[in-house]
Amino acid sequence: MPEANAAVFRRAVLALSGGPTDEMIVRLACELARPTHAELIAVHVVELDWTKPLDADVAERSEEAQRVLDAAEGIADLVHGKIEAVLVQARDLGAAIVDEAAARDADLLILGLPYKTRFGGDFAVGRAVPYAFKNAPCAVWVVREPMGEESR
Amino acid sequence: MFVIVVGGGKVGYFLARELIQSGHEVALMERDRVHAAQITEAIGSIVIAHDGCEGKYLGQAGANRADIVAAVTGDDEDNLVICQMAKHHFDVPRTIARVNNPKNEGLFKHLGVDEIVSPTRMILGSIEADIPVHELLHLAVLGGGELELVEAQLRSGSPAVGRPAGSLELPEGCSIFAVIREERALSVRPDTELRVGDKVIGICRTECEGELHRLLMGEETDVSA
Repeated sequence: MPEANAAVFRRAVLALSGGPTDEMIVRLACELARPTHAELIAVHVVELDWTKPLDADVAERSEEAQRVLDAAEGIADLVHGKIEAVLVQARDLGAAIVDEAAARDADLLILGLPYKTRFGGDFAVGRAVPYAFKNAPCAVWVVREPMGEESR
Repeated sequence: MFVIVVGGGKVGYFLARELIQSGHEVALMERDRVHAAQITEAIGSIVIAHDGCEGKYLGQAGANRADIVAAVTGDDEDNLVICQMAKHHFDVPRTIARVNNPKNEGLFKHLGVDEIVSPTRMILGSIEADIPVHELLHLAVLGGGELELVEAQLRSGSPAVGRPAGSLELPEGCSIFAVIREERALSVRPDTELRVGDKVIGICRTECEGELHRLLMGEETDVSA
């Protein structure tokens, strides 16, 4: 039997999208990390199309990207947690998040999933979550946004 | 270097993979979505699942900043369109096309494709190394495709036999510079008399190949007959 207070993880990568799930992810991760002082790395990926080279000076100049990271740090402060905020430029969100988790030797990757439906009502899971499920070397948690009133 | 490879067949796939392993930035365009997904699965998210023949999608692939566009689909017409668009619409410095039908090589050159690669001609060259199908053996393509290094083995009855090399009225832009005789290489001088069994090495423009053949070997034989 594992100990009740055993560390769930030692280093986690949090994928921030700038959407409503960011706050949930940061709060959850900070709460879970607190007892064991696990390391939290909050990553926001700025996807670049092929017309720009990957080292183009885009993300650093992006107010939106800075807002996402600042908001995450603000939430972490509120719950007395500590995160390292990282900005990444990549062609593909899913691959970039998984690569970051692997490069950081994280043992947990947490992604948010907005509650969205396609035309016709099918739930849309996007591309990043399935990619992470299939390719991430570590454990993957997905925090889904609560269903809106109109979807219930 | 940023290279756009158009066509995700075997050639495109392995080309992209080798380029990535060499540290280059690569975008691969494959119009078949299922096949594009398979390539993505195999070598990562470098695949753009669109038709490279369309300027809009070639632009989305980053043709505006590409150093090289390599069109390697199995369709000569597509490869020509891709290279022309890359060259004239996006100012790509270097275009490379796979040409499947050797008869299209001249057209590709004429229309400004920087480099052409003809697998058919390469295989033909290998076969000719052992079996002289056309009697004029293609050893290499030079100067981006407009010049060829060729070898002609003189047989009895060849019009060049018994004549000094200087007396041959070679087509403009052609040159013969060496003879392999009894497994020894000799420089060709104007007074070098050509003999039966000599392998004459020369460089000629593609369009002069027939004339050089007639001078050294006589009339071409139609092997397809």
